[in-house]
Amino acid sequence: MGGLTTRWSRIASLGAVVALVAGACGGSSATSAPPASTAPSTGASTAPSAAASTAPSASAAASGPKSGGTVYLLTQAQQFDQVDPQRAYTGEDMAFFQATIYRSLEAYTISPDNTKASQLTPDLATDLGTPSNGAKTWTFTLRDGVTFQDGSPITCADVKYGTSRTFATDVISGGPTYAIQYLDIPSNKDGSSQYPGPYKATAAQQALFDKAVTCSADNKTITFNLNQPVADFNYTVTLGFSPVPKAADTGESYGVAKPPVASGPYEVQSYQTGNGGKMILVRNPNWSQASDPYRHPYPDQWEVDFGLDPQVMDQRMIQSTGNDQTALMYGGIMPQDLATVFVDPNTAQPQYAGRVVNGYDPYARYIWINVQKITNQKIREAMAVALDRASYRKIAGGEFVGDLADGVIKPNLGMDYAPTNMWTTMFGQAIPDGGDPAFAKQLISQSGAAAPTLTFNYADTPTYGKIAAAVQASLQAAGFTVNLAPIPPGNYYSTVFDPKKAGDFGIGGWGADWPNASTVIPPLFTVKGGWDLSQANDPTFNTAVAAANAETDRPTQAKDWQALNTEAMQKVWAIPTLFGKASLIMGSGLATGTGANGGLYIWGPYGSNPYGDVYVK
Amino acid sequence: MVGRSLREIIWARLRRDRVAMICLVILVVYYLIGILGPVVAGILNDSPYTLHPDLISEMGGKPIAAYGGISAAHPLGVEWGTGRDILAQLLFGLRISLVISTVATLMTVVLGVVIGIVAGYSRGVTDNFLGRLMDLILAFPFLLIVMSLSGVLTQRLTQLGVPEGNASRILYLILVMSFFGWPYLARIVRGQVLSLREREFVEASVAMGAGRRRILFSEILPNLWAPILVYATLTLPNYIGLEAALSFLGVGVLPPDVTFGSMLANSVTYVNVVPTYLFIPGTALVILVVSFNLLGDSLRDALDPKGVH
Repeated sequence: MGGLTTRWSRIASLGAVVALVAGACGGSSATSAPPASTAPSTGASTAPSAAASTAPSASAAASGPKSGGTVYLLTQAQQFDQVDPQRAYTGEDMAFFQATIYRSLEAYTISPDNTKASQLTPDLATDLGTPSNGAKTWTFTLRDGVTFQDGSPITCADVKYGTSRTFATDVISGGPTYAIQYLDIPSNKDGSSQYPGPYKATAAQQALFDKAVTCSADNKTITFNLNQPVADFNYTVTLGFSPVPKAADTGESYGVAKPPVASGPYEVQSYQTGNGGKMILVRNPNWSQASDPYRHPYPDQWEVDFGLDPQVMDQRMIQSTGNDQTALMYGGIMPQDLATVFVDPNTAQPQYAGRVVNGYDPYARYIWINVQKITNQKIREAMAVALDRASYRKIAGGEFVGDLADGVIKPNLGMDYAPTNMWTTMFGQAIPDGGDPAFAKQLISQSGAAAPTLTFNYADTPTYGKIAAAVQASLQAAGFTVNLAPIPPGNYYSTVFDPKKAGDFGIGGWGADWPNASTVIPPLFTVKGGWDLSQANDPTFNTAVAAANAETDRPTQAKDWQALNTEAMQKVWAIPTLFGKASLIMGSGLATGTGANGGLYIWGPYGSNPYGDVYVK
Repeated sequence: MVGRSLREIIWARLRRDRVAMICLVILVVYYLIGILGPVVAGILNDSPYTLHPDLISEMGGKPIAAYGGISAAHPLGVEWGTGRDILAQLLFGLRISLVISTVATLMTVVLGVVIGIVAGYSRGVTDNFLGRLMDLILAFPFLLIVMSLSGVLTQRLTQLGVPEGNASRILYLILVMSFFGWPYLARIVRGQVLSLREREFVEASVAMGAGRRRILFSEILPNLWAPILVYATLTLPNYIGLEAALSFLGVGVLPPDVTFGSMLANSVTYVNVVPTYLFIPGTALVILVVSFNLLGDSLRDALDPKGVH
C-alpha cells in the first residue's frame, strides 16, 4: 500500500538512473517487512491525542529505543541536491530532512508496514486538514507551541510564505510545483501563474496569492483555496509546503550560504560540501516533544559525510567498525556485495540479520514506446512479447533490483494496483519471462507491415549499455532491427522529451508522488501530465483520466486507475519491466524503534532509510 | 671469404640469446592472436558481444559457476552481469590494444626521426626552434591534458568525419600518444645526427653536391636505425601500458568493446569477490609488456658494438 514517493523531477529522475547504475538494487519485498505491530503514531484518521508518547513501540529491541549518540550518514554525493525545503525533491532527501530539520503540515506515519506508513499523521497541523466546498478549500490549524530554532513561533504566515516561494520558479527551481498547479490563482496565456513569487510580485500580484491562501486572525489557521477539487490535498502539503520565516529567506542561496532555519528537532550546525565535506546536525534547543508528538529524535547528533567512494562505503558498512557502527548509507548496496550480506532478497546472511533489507524503492521502471512513431499496435505488441524481461532483470542486477512488472502502477500504491494480466492473458496467450520471439513474429505478420528498424534510447552508463544489448538481442530474435542510441546521462530526459531527437523506444521510470495513481497515470500517458515519454495523446483515454481525477470516491477512483493502467498496457504505450527494489544496510550499532526486532526496514513513503526511527543501541 | 653483414651479425647474436628468442616467440604469438582473434573466437563459437544471461545469477548478476563463471565452454570465465565470455573479450581486447600501441609507435618513430634529423642537421634557428618545441611538449602535464581534452577532441574528430564512438576514441589515443611521445626519440636522433654530420662520408656527399634531402635520408638515416629500433621496441610496451592506464581512467574505448585497460578497470569493482577478473587481463598484459622490454634490452645488447657477445 501506499508507497508514496517522489516524483521524478529532472534531478530526481537522474538520481534514480544513477541509483540503478550504481546497483541500488534489490531487497526483500515490501510485503516481507515486519508486521505493523505497534506503530508509534496514531492512525491517520484520529487527531494525535497521544501527545507525548516518547516510547514509540513495544516491538523494538528488548532494551527499547534510547536517546543519544551520533548517527553517520555516508554518501557518494558531493552535497545535497537541495537543502531548501521548497526545492528538495528526491525521496531520500525529503525523508531525511523531514525527519530532522523541517516540519510540514502533515507527515507520513513512521512504520515498517507500507499500508500504515502511507497514511498521514498530523505534524504542524492539529489534524489531517478539513476539506470544504467540495474539496476545493482546505483548512489546517497549527499546533500550539510550535517554534523555529530561534524560538519564534511558527505561524500561518510562515507556512504561507514558504508556499509562496514555490511560485518564484526562476529562483526556487527543481522542487515540487503542486502549489502552482492547485492553488486558485489565474494563469497567464502561456500557462504560467500570474503570481511570480514573493520576490518580484507587485502588490496586485501578491493580492492574488493572498486571496488563494489566507490566515485566520490569530495566525494559526491556514486556508488553501484550490482551482479544482483535490480530495487528497492533505497529501499534497507534504511536498513543498514547509514554513520559511520571511526575514531569513535569502532566495536562491537559502539553506546553503547560511544554515536554513530549522523547525524540526535538529538544526544545521555546519555544512561543507565536496569530498570530505560534512553536514552536522545538532539538537534544536527550541524544539519540544510536546509540540511534536510525531517525531522521536533519538540520536543527539547527525553527521552526513559527503564524497565517499561507493565501493569503500559498501566495505565500511559491511565491516561496521568504529564510527561506522552507527552509520547509515545513502543509496543501495552494490551488486557485487549482495552475496556477502544476503542469502536471498528476503533473507539476510545470519551475521547481517536486521542490518540489511531489500524492498520496494519508489520507482516503477518501463520501456516507453513512442506511439507517434510506432503507430501500429500489433508492432508494439510484438515488441513487448519479444522482450526478454528475465535477462533484462538479471543484467540490471537480478531479483534484488525489482520484481517483474505488469504495469506502471506499482503494488506499493495499494488499492490502485491490480494485476493487468499483461503477461498471462492480455495478448491471447501467456508470455514467458524470457520473451516469445515466435509469437512476436506472428504478431508482426498480423500487423500487415514489415518488422521495422527501431532506435533504442538509454542513458549512456555501463549498466544501461548492457541492458540495451539485451533489449537489442531479444528484439532482433523476433525479426526487428534495433539500433542503439545512447544519450549522455545528464541530457537523457531533455533529449527523449524532444520529439525531434527521441528514438522509437527507450528506458524510463517513474515514482508516484503520493499513494494515489493520480500521480502516475496522468503524468505518464497524457500530454499535459509532464512525463509522457510515449507521446500518447488518446482523446478517449484523456477523457477517462479527467473523469478519474475528478472522482471523489476513493475506491471507485482506484478501479478507474486500474482500468486505465490495463488499457495503457493493452495499447502497449509502455512495456513495464521492473517494480524497482533497493537494498539498504545500517551499522551494527543501530536499531530502529518500530522494525521487527529493531531491524532495518525501508520506509515506504519515500523508499528511504527510516531516518525518523533509528537510534544508537 | 665473404664477410658477414651487420644485420647477419646482429641476428646471430640474437639467436644465441635464449631470452630474446622466447620473447620473440611470445610476441609473434600475441600478434597472431591479435590478428586472428575473431577467427579464434569463431572457433570457440563465441564473441565478446554475446550475452549469456543463463550463466549469471539473480544475485546482482554474479556468474553462477565458481571463479567468475569458469567452465569448459568459458575457460576464463564470464563477465559479471552479462555473461560475456572473458576469453573472447581478451582476444578482441588484445587486438585493439595492439593496434593502438603499434600504430602510435610507428607514428612516434616517423615524427621523431624526421624532426630529429632535421633539427640535428640544420644549425641555428631551425634547431633552436625545434629544440624549444620539444622542451615545450615534454613540459606538458601529459595525463591531465589527455584526460581533459578527450571529450572535445574526440568530438572534433567526429566532426572531421571519423565514425563516432570507438573509432574516434581509438584515433584520439593514437594521436595524443604519438604527439607527446615523439620528442624523446627526436632528441636521441638529434644527438646522433650532431656527431654524424661531422663525419667524412657526409662531408664527401656535400662535396659531391648531394642535395640536403639525400644527405639526410640516404646518408645519415641508415646509420640511425639501431637506436631507432631499440627505442621503438621499448616504446611499444610503454604505449601498451599507457593505453591500459588511459582506458582505466575512462579515456579509452567504450563498452561493449574492451581493451586490456578497460578490462582491468572493470575488474576492480569485483576484486573482492572475483579476483580472476583482475588476474586474467593483468597477467596477459604483464607477459606482453615484459616480453617487449626484454626483447628491447637484448636488441640493444646485440646492437652495441662494445657488447660482450
